Amino acid sequence: MAHQAHAYHMVDPSPWPLTGAISALLMTSGLATWFVYKTTTLLFLGTTLLLLTMFQWWRLIIRESTFQGHHTTPVQKGLRYGMVLFITSEVFFFIGFFWAFYHSSLAPAIELGGLWPPTGITPLDPFEVPLLNTAVPLASGVTVTWAHHSIMEGARKPALQSLTLTVLLGLYFTALQAMEYYEAPFTLADGVYGCTFFVATGFHGLHVIIGTTFSMVCLLPHTHYHFTSNHHFGFDAAAWYWHFVAVVWLFLYISIYWWGS
Amino acid sequence: MLQRSYLTQVWHQLSSPAAGHGEKSAKTWKMLTFLVALPGVGVCMLNTFLKAQHHSHEQPEFVPYSHLRIRSKRFPWGDGNKTLFHNPHVNALPGGYESHE
Repeated sequence: MAHQAHAYHMVDPSPWPLTGAISALLMTSGLATWFVYKTTTLLFLGTTLLLLTMFQWWRLIIRESTFQGHHTTPVQKGLRYGMVLFITSEVFFFIGFFWAFYHSSLAPAIELGGLWPPTGITPLDPFEVPLLNTAVPLASGVTVTWAHHSIMEGARKPALQSLTLTVLLGLYFTALQAMEYYEAPFTLADGVYGCTFFVATGFHGLHVIIGTTFSMVCLLPHTHYHFTSNHHFGFDAAAWYWHFVAVVWLFLYISIYWWGS
Repeated sequence: MLQRSYLTQVWHQLSSPAAGHGEKSAKTWKMLTFLVALPGVGVCMLNTFLKAQHHSHEQPEFVPYSHLRIRSKRFPWGDGNKTLFHNPHVNALPGGYESHE
């Protein structure tokens, strides 16, 4: 193996960035062809390729880091910056949807009846299921912090317990939201209220599912002793992402569910 | 404000990747989980259940407003007229509620 005079990781060539880019192209064009021509081939191909890319690329990273030791301290620092920047970009993604919501709700158009919620819309009671759906992410923020401290203290069993609890709470939230979506008296097609509601909460729900999957993927390596008490960046990244998802929910709850009702 | 403190927390973690967090140990967070967080969830579950029992289960009245039930383009599934989470009991179609068989 060649020796390098620096602590950075010069990655070997791999096909996964290319397959990832191709899957992005197939999924976006597939969505358009589905809407126009009702065919799902491209979309299905794109999704399969995306899943393959994610599985293979992250497996490769685990091999490079846990088993080959490429993640030195400077490399880890770079990865931390990367995750923070990524989460920041996601914050701005959600800012767009909050902008749309406030634009439409602060000065409701006359076509809606000049009021918010618009005439004919029965909003959900913020103190029923939405309140439970606020307690759940807050509780999971506590459990993921418990997990973090357990990992740092080398306490294996509590770490497994707390991480499992976090995942279960995430799944519970998704199930509750799915039920709410079905029971809601308004739909996506109900003007700007339905649109802002379901697009904002829908993307949030997608991020919850991503965050839950991320945490589940941390649980598996943890059972195989991949984390050490001071080097467990995969878990840190998952925990940051999870806190981000919970904070977005708080903003959603206060703006759309509570103020907007 | 919530976001700023989140970023500060992240910044602290960034600048000390290997250090533990000192003040609060895992035991504290475990107690918080079982004494505060999970009971909080339990209370909210109870509250939701009790409130749901007070609900009337009637259909909301149907008024054919033009700003609701918009159908600029057919949905790419089924008959193209029902949303993804369509619930025939509470979601009316543009012409009114579906007749119950």
